[in-house]
Amino acid sequence: MIRRLALAIALLMPGAALAETFSAAEREAIREHGPWPQAALSDPTNRFSGDPGAIAFGERLFFERSLSAEGDVACAQCHRPDMAFTDGRKTARGTADGARNTLSLWNVGQMRWFGWGGASDTLWGASVRPLALMAEMGAPPEGLRARLRQNAALWHDYRAIVGQAAEDADGSAVTATVGKLLAAYQETLISPRTAFDRFRAALLGDDPAGVAAYPATAKRGLKLFIGKGNCNLCHAGPLFATDGFESVGMPHFIGPGAVDKGRYGDLLTFRASAMKASGPHSDAPGPMLTDQARLQHKDFGAFRVPSLRQAALTAPYMHNGALPTLEAVIRHYSDLDMERLHADGAAILRPLHLSKSEIADLVAFLETLSAAP
Amino acid sequence: MRLLTVGLLCLAWALPPAAGTAGAADAGDLPVIDAHIHYSHDAWDMLPPDAAIEALRAAGLSRAFVSSSSDDGTLMLQDLAPDLIVPVLRPYRRRGEIGTWHSDPSVVDMLRDRLAKRRYAGIGEFHVFGADADKPVIRAVVKLAAEHRIFLHAHSDADAIRRIFMQDPGAHVLWAHSGFAHPEDVAAMLAQHETLWADLAFRSEQARGGKVDPEWRKAFEAFPKRFMLGTDTFAPERWHYVADHASWSRAWLADLPRPLAENIAHRNAAALADWALAK
Repeated sequence: MIRRLALAIALLMPGAALAETFSAAEREAIREHGPWPQAALSDPTNRFSGDPGAIAFGERLFFERSLSAEGDVACAQCHRPDMAFTDGRKTARGTADGARNTLSLWNVGQMRWFGWGGASDTLWGASVRPLALMAEMGAPPEGLRARLRQNAALWHDYRAIVGQAAEDADGSAVTATVGKLLAAYQETLISPRTAFDRFRAALLGDDPAGVAAYPATAKRGLKLFIGKGNCNLCHAGPLFATDGFESVGMPHFIGPGAVDKGRYGDLLTFRASAMKASGPHSDAPGPMLTDQARLQHKDFGAFRVPSLRQAALTAPYMHNGALPTLEAVIRHYSDLDMERLHADGAAILRPLHLSKSEIADLVAFLETLSAAP
Repeated sequence: MRLLTVGLLCLAWALPPAAGTAGAADAGDLPVIDAHIHYSHDAWDMLPPDAAIEALRAAGLSRAFVSSSSDDGTLMLQDLAPDLIVPVLRPYRRRGEIGTWHSDPSVVDMLRDRLAKRRYAGIGEFHVFGADADKPVIRAVVKLAAEHRIFLHAHSDADAIRRIFMQDPGAHVLWAHSGFAHPEDVAAMLAQHETLWADLAFRSEQARGGKVDPEWRKAFEAFPKRFMLGTDTFAPERWHYVADHASWSRAWLADLPRPLAENIAHRNAAALADWALAK
């Protein structure tokens, strides 16, 4: 009865009625963005994946400053749990200022490539990169092993999980293991259901009251997202991401005479890395699809298509944190400078020329993809 | 399962080079001419002219075809390094004219004025597609190129290239990006038009892992004097890609017989530049 009443009220309101109505094609597009949450994925290259003891110890390591070179930086410093696992800064600051914005760790276990340029194909590989990078935690492998051993309590518990292998391992192996423990914890970071997920379930489940509860402005924004904007071509699926890399016209100078090469540079880094799925530290070594990723000219200056889940909580935006708000991001696409994109590059990108109200609607929609845990 | 094992496919990668690479070049030392460089106004601050020249030399380029929005960028570089820069006159006064220039008659006056003052090897790189190539501005540009005996650097589809040759069967045309066409179609165009050359800028598919794709190899072998290299610095940041691009190109050129590799690396571009500049 309540559902019928809600539907009747909606039909009596001409302005809202348009937003209430979704075509079969729109419903299908909306279906693609769920269900949520997705089942947690197990990583065969990480023997600690899904292990409750390892997850708990990985969480402890996540907050552990003693792993860094000077004992003053923890993963949680840039990936703050109270800030959706980001830091609110334009670019990260570890032991020194970095050049890239801190990516949120929400749903990171669902990815295939990690980081803005995909320098890693495993979460554990991605987790040890900041440990070793001087600008982040500045702890090269041998130093990390020594520091771990110096902390008696930490070493004791590490040994309890890793076993006798901990004693015999060299610095590189210890680093990989620390990465795997950190990854085991991060795999559990799955963002909560959101207003959008409830709306989607209501729409597909023929629940007019649930549909009506979703704000009209968000509905209009959703229609733009899957319609005029074609945003869902890249921000696809339940994650609102493709796990791919694109150049979207963002400048990528990092100073006079220096650029962030993006995917191009990071793919080269990946190829040279031992901390990858097919590498010597993998628990399921062997040829991987990721090893075949092809270096292309378009990769230069291309960056990750980030997930939009929890995006409202992770400002500022883009690989260099140059855009302070979701509205600024949408304006970037609305006024896209086509000459910064190659004429035959990402052909789906065109200036959207959105009105003020359309921008507000898109922001309203994007906000419904986030929820406090 | 997130990570898929693809043993067979990867084993193929590990195989030694395929037949047909006998006599392949050791291309690490190849001089390279980059036929597709822009030095537009938004690059001038982050990469001043002396730094731009240094970047080209550091990439091991022997020459570079440069066209810029505005043309002043090209002239700044040529004044600093006349031995290195092959000036190509771009019909854009600043960014943002890609889609409008061919309907703007004042472009022709600008080109005529510039051509009267300096020697250029070509006009371009310009963008024109399909029937737009028959517009009066394009017709005037084709005429100007013929008058000055210089080439046209056209970012165009095959249709527009054909229309240019209809206007002037003797036109010399450098087809930017090989029209982003399939190698078979590029070869067909080259067969049809004897004064058509093709640059490989922003094309990645002609080689993989240093090995030349068989279809492209066929095109290169059929037209050994018609292909050339190019980076395309369409955004200022891409100046920092010129050296990477030259290295990448040398890697796949090494999979070709040395004479063919040398043609694509520099001889074909040098011949076109020398034809245009030797007056």
